[in-house]
Amino acid sequence: MNRLVLQNVTRRFGGLVAVDDMSFSVPEAGVTAVIGPNGAGKTTLFSLISGFLPPSSGRILFDGADITGLAPEKVAGRGLVRTFQLVKLFEDLTTLENVKVGRHLHTRSGLLAALARTPAARREEREVEARALELLTFVGLKLKADTPASGLSYGQQRLLEMARALAAEPRLVLLDEPAAGLNGEESAALSRIIRRIAETGTTVLLIEHDMTLVMNTADRVVVVDFGRKIAEGTPGEVRVDPAVIAAYLGSAETAPIARKDARHG
Amino acid sequence: MTSSLSITSPEAPRRSWLSWRVALPYGFVTAVVAYAAVAGGYPATVVSFALIYAVFVIGLNLFMGFANQVSFGQNAFAAIGGYTSAVLTATYGWEPLPAMAAGMLGAVAAACAIGYPTLRLKGHYLAMGTLAIGLIVYEITVEWQSVTQGYMGLSGIPPLGIGGYEITSDRGQLLMLAAVVAGATFLSARLRGSRIGRALSAVAGSEEAARALGIPVARYKLLAFLLSAALASLSGSLFVHVVGFVSPEVFGLHMVILTFTMLYVGGIGTIAGPVVGALIISLLPETFRGFKDYQDLAYGAALIVMLIYAPKGLSSLFSIRRRP
Amino acid sequence: MADFSYIPQVLVSGLGIGCVYGLIGIGFCVIYNASGIVNFAQGAFVMLGGMLTQGLLQRYGLPLLPAALVAIAIVALLGVVLERVVVRPLWDRKATMFTMILATLAAQIVIERVTLLVGGDQPKTLPMFTDLPPIQVSGVAVSYQLLWIVGSSLLAVAALAAFFRLTRTGKAMRACAINREAAALQGIPVSRMLAAAFAISAALGAMAGILITPTQYTAFNVGVPFAISGFIAAIVGGFGRPFGAFLGGLMLGLVQSLAILGFGAGLKTVAALSVLLLFLFIRPSGLLGAAK
Repeated sequence: MNRLVLQNVTRRFGGLVAVDDMSFSVPEAGVTAVIGPNGAGKTTLFSLISGFLPPSSGRILFDGADITGLAPEKVAGRGLVRTFQLVKLFEDLTTLENVKVGRHLHTRSGLLAALARTPAARREEREVEARALELLTFVGLKLKADTPASGLSYGQQRLLEMARALAAEPRLVLLDEPAAGLNGEESAALSRIIRRIAETGTTVLLIEHDMTLVMNTADRVVVVDFGRKIAEGTPGEVRVDPAVIAAYLGSAETAPIARKDARHG
Repeated sequence: MTSSLSITSPEAPRRSWLSWRVALPYGFVTAVVAYAAVAGGYPATVVSFALIYAVFVIGLNLFMGFANQVSFGQNAFAAIGGYTSAVLTATYGWEPLPAMAAGMLGAVAAACAIGYPTLRLKGHYLAMGTLAIGLIVYEITVEWQSVTQGYMGLSGIPPLGIGGYEITSDRGQLLMLAAVVAGATFLSARLRGSRIGRALSAVAGSEEAARALGIPVARYKLLAFLLSAALASLSGSLFVHVVGFVSPEVFGLHMVILTFTMLYVGGIGTIAGPVVGALIISLLPETFRGFKDYQDLAYGAALIVMLIYAPKGLSSLFSIRRRP
Repeated sequence: MADFSYIPQVLVSGLGIGCVYGLIGIGFCVIYNASGIVNFAQGAFVMLGGMLTQGLLQRYGLPLLPAALVAIAIVALLGVVLERVVVRPLWDRKATMFTMILATLAAQIVIERVTLLVGGDQPKTLPMFTDLPPIQVSGVAVSYQLLWIVGSSLLAVAALAAFFRLTRTGKAMRACAINREAAALQGIPVSRMLAAAFAISAALGAMAGILITPTQYTAFNVGVPFAISGFIAAIVGGFGRPFGAFLGGLMLGLVQSLAILGFGAGLKTVAALSVLLLFLFIRPSGLLGAAK
């Protein structure tokens, strides 16, 4: 059974084809990575899947149901949650509150319950708090619970965004370049966290530049270039795929093999 | 801490130093209201007006502070509330409380009809659209003379009360208004800490991220707009019942500037800010005699100076929240 | 209730007010193009144009034309002052759009209140520029004031077009409108353009205020409705297109005159504002296409 299926998905911007007739499947289990040179259409692809952009043509199936053209909040409501390449935290809120926002879909309390603080609302709030603290512990940010989100380091902000997405208990989580701006040590910790997420049964689909992370973390890799899928397989398979090597050698990017991305945010 | 994945530095959160800063604004408000209640007479009247505006600004803060949206037209809803109260009581002999409730219903209904298309606007369009809404209602209050008496205004509006009992004394009105403001502040604090409040903060922080987490952004903006309109309407009704008179100028454009100044001075996005701002802005002119003619001028100038030199308002003294 | 034989007459007077809205609309565009700012104090210029001319006429006994020219010059200077004192500091620290709107709106209130303190709250008017009975053109009365309005407006638009096309400053301002960053990199002093834009915009507003005052009245608080009408004109024309704004103003003037015919003069502002809201909701990019 596939978690996510893309069928001939295309997105044009005027004359430019950002995603061109893309088809691939993401199995329920494990971590799938989409890699490709800059400008290959990876982020557009994520926007299409998560509902932020409607595709020009093609279909997107999530757990067998057609989600093509659904609004982002509806897509999230079905259990598909994304993170962003440029971290988008709620900076006025604390670290803990940010994760609590992630529980929105799994809580009910309305306006009157909030104002009257009914027993049901209080119980729900306690559950939200407990779950949020659990997730902060999971990503290692528990001590920062009461720090404003804007006061976190860049790496911590990325982890927080991930914890917030997990709070929504997605069946599929899309991670848009989660290692961007992380140092080697942070990146390694991130890799372990991603593996743990996949072990708990959440499907992970990530876009990544950091090849070390992809090679160590992903079970399957989809390689895209100029909006098209050029290869698909295990990390070992795509590493030696001639089309992949050509694409990377032909671009300004370094080859995917053993590239260690050590940019700092 | 059992996680082997921790990449945080071991630094415990510090909270205690915040407590006095949180308590300070409430102390200030309590002291001012208590002084006015003891002194009675003119001070009580001045503080009463401040509290009426505070109700409006608390509503403005829900929409602009919590949800980070823009409206230059909330005075429209104060006018709807105020005129509904005035017309129903003075012309049709209703009791003030049902008239007030009718005004709130009317304001919320209007906000619903207006908000749905308006809140899709962005930037300058949203600003000008909301400004237009305030002006449309102003023009209607001027032109619909058979009901509103135009510029002449309506008088003979009864004070608030239940059954045969009316609150007519300065002190009585002051305490009633203080209770309303305390209630509104309390509820806005509860809202802020709730699931709904967090969703509003999420909308304020990043609409995209909020939607990615399943928050229906448009619906929450509308909710904040409606709550804000309800409080604006309540404030308008309180005004007409306390003063006994209403005219279009009460809810004119100067009200927009005045309330924005209050919100900025007190601290946008904070809980106590609206009340603190309303009190400071209302009390300042009283310290200078003959200042009355220059009031709106001074508010406008003060607002400009604040926007230029202290964009975060005096809130930086009180607030633990930060605005970019 | 409406007598349809009045329609041609109404359309003619709509043309006059339409020109005025058009001038104000151009004022919005000129500043917007130079800076991306929408100046919510635009109405103050309109109001001051009429009020200052009236004051110069009454208090200093100047003849009408010099009084009008002096008033326009003063208002243009005031535009620069507004830019220096309010807009520039915010611009320099890259304040949010909302802050800029609020600050210019506050400036509008300040200018209004100063005018109220100095000039009182009584409505004032100006004499007709040419005090002759209207010309009859196939049953439609065309007043000389209307000719003044249309003539001066067209002249102003033509002068502006020449300025943008022929002068160094004008060309630089057009470059700023197309791409501010690129213009700055080309060595165009963007900040000086901003001051120039405020001066031009203020002068246009003042001119509009002076032209329209003889046909109605002016008072300290007439500015905001005029500003909103000008804004509508700018939106209808596709924000940022000066000549589109002028056409938008003409359209608004005609629609508004018909609305007066249909619903009475009292609701003309409501009618104009409703046009604004309709446009915002249905076609925010204007009749003449998208803004940049």
